[in-house]
Amino acid sequence: MVRGFRSFHPIILLLYYIFAIAGLMLYQHPIFLGLAAATILIINFMLDGGEQLKKWGWMIAIMSVLTLILTPLFNNRGNYILFYFFDRQVMLESVIQGVMIALTLLCIISLFLTFNIVITPDKFVFLFSKFLPQWALLIMLSMRFVPLLRKRLIEIGDVQQVKGLSVKCGPIRSRAKNGMLFLQILLTWSLEESIQTADSMTARGYGIGKRSKYQPFYMKKRDWVSLGFLLATGSFVAFGWWLGDGVLTLLPILEQVLLQGREWFYFILWFVFLAFPIWTEGKEMIKWRYFRHIS
Amino acid sequence: MARTKPFLIGIVLLISVLLIGFPLWNTKHYMALSLVIMIGSFLPFMISFARKKVMSRELVVVAILAAIAAVSRIPFASIPSVQPTTFVIITAAIVLGPQSGFVVGTLAAIVSNIFLGHGPWTPWQMYAWGMIGLTAGLLGKTWLMQNKLGRCIYGFVVGIAFGWIMNLWFVVGVIQEFNWPAILLYYSSSFYFDLAHGISNVFFLWLFSAGWIKIMQRFKVKYGLFTK
Repeated sequence: MVRGFRSFHPIILLLYYIFAIAGLMLYQHPIFLGLAAATILIINFMLDGGEQLKKWGWMIAIMSVLTLILTPLFNNRGNYILFYFFDRQVMLESVIQGVMIALTLLCIISLFLTFNIVITPDKFVFLFSKFLPQWALLIMLSMRFVPLLRKRLIEIGDVQQVKGLSVKCGPIRSRAKNGMLFLQILLTWSLEESIQTADSMTARGYGIGKRSKYQPFYMKKRDWVSLGFLLATGSFVAFGWWLGDGVLTLLPILEQVLLQGREWFYFILWFVFLAFPIWTEGKEMIKWRYFRHIS
Repeated sequence: MARTKPFLIGIVLLISVLLIGFPLWNTKHYMALSLVIMIGSFLPFMISFARKKVMSRELVVVAILAAIAAVSRIPFASIPSVQPTTFVIITAAIVLGPQSGFVVGTLAAIVSNIFLGHGPWTPWQMYAWGMIGLTAGLLGKTWLMQNKLGRCIYGFVVGIAFGWIMNLWFVVGVIQEFNWPAILLYYSSSFYFDLAHGISNVFFLWLFSAGWIKIMQRFKVKYGLFTK
């Protein structure tokens, strides 16, 4: 049985991701972004032990470090000169901006890693079917064909290898040409077969009346509670942005980077909101530990 | 469809002029504006297809073409930055028309991302491939798409434009500020890949587009599909 963060209604999950991404784009402040990065990395580890992170880590790291280094070199607006690099001024403001851009990038990509773990294809199709049912049907059909076509491609490749055609060795030009030939065979083969699928759909009554829907997810009490939680904290987060609390002013005058006064309040709220998966996953983890010790 | 076609071409042209030309005189609200334009030009097509009553045969053919476009990355996995997805979308759009072209493009992006992992790039990919399908379908009956050289020119331009649209997710989502040096830097760093995409499009279209169009055309006639 699916428990924890993953077991919520897909619409709640979608709402969390929309708010989180909007928050990441609005709260351009190194400390707020740093907190977000830490939180999202923890969520990643809680959901799958950091497996996705290991797969994508290098790509994220390279992109972040590149933006971190390149932004200050190409953006020299600001008041405080830190040092000169090949006759170019490197400004404190642009260094801070580089940090913020790199952190935003890291946060958004690692948040999407959790999205891929949490929003499984069935939830994804469900979300589509809520708003665009015809598209959901198309996605289902197309998804079903992908593994089938993969198998067929392997089969085609095996047969063509006997004739000496391969995509694995030889000069690039002939490899690309052979690959395309395989696809062409796949095209003629699959188009014919697809008619049979379509006719069997018609035979089973597709297009006669209104299509009925299978509803695999229902809003439970905990979904409504978390909807309230997300809306409340989310609107506070938006309000904090409107007040300018989670945004670091760079120009014309650099604001103090360290948090002060009211900013702490929105800092904590931002964490409470963003850590929603930690609360729900963590509860399950604690339960698991606790009950294991008792028995 | 016949009367709305010039109208649609006009809109597509207007959108691209606005998207490219706007930052030249006002960079402040560019991000918001470009998002509004993209959503405004994308959603109507999504919704109009969602409302349309489609024959089961047409539905399945569109689905399988999108699946082929998504799967077509596999045999080319060993050749970096060469993949014929755009080629499949263009040829399908030429034969099946603008709306089906749009659907094949958008669907291919969704389906291939379901298997490869979604990211902030998913909506941009849907947009880029959807629009490639739409424009290829709109130009389908004109001389540009009816001769091989025209198709190659179109494929090259579209291959580079695809990369530029894909870069926008980074500009809008991460940099959030329109400053030319940063954007030029970012776009020049991806230029090699965009060029490779454009050139591989030309290569595929030059060698295979006539054959593929013929196969799909024959299929269309054989089963009487997409005649409206």
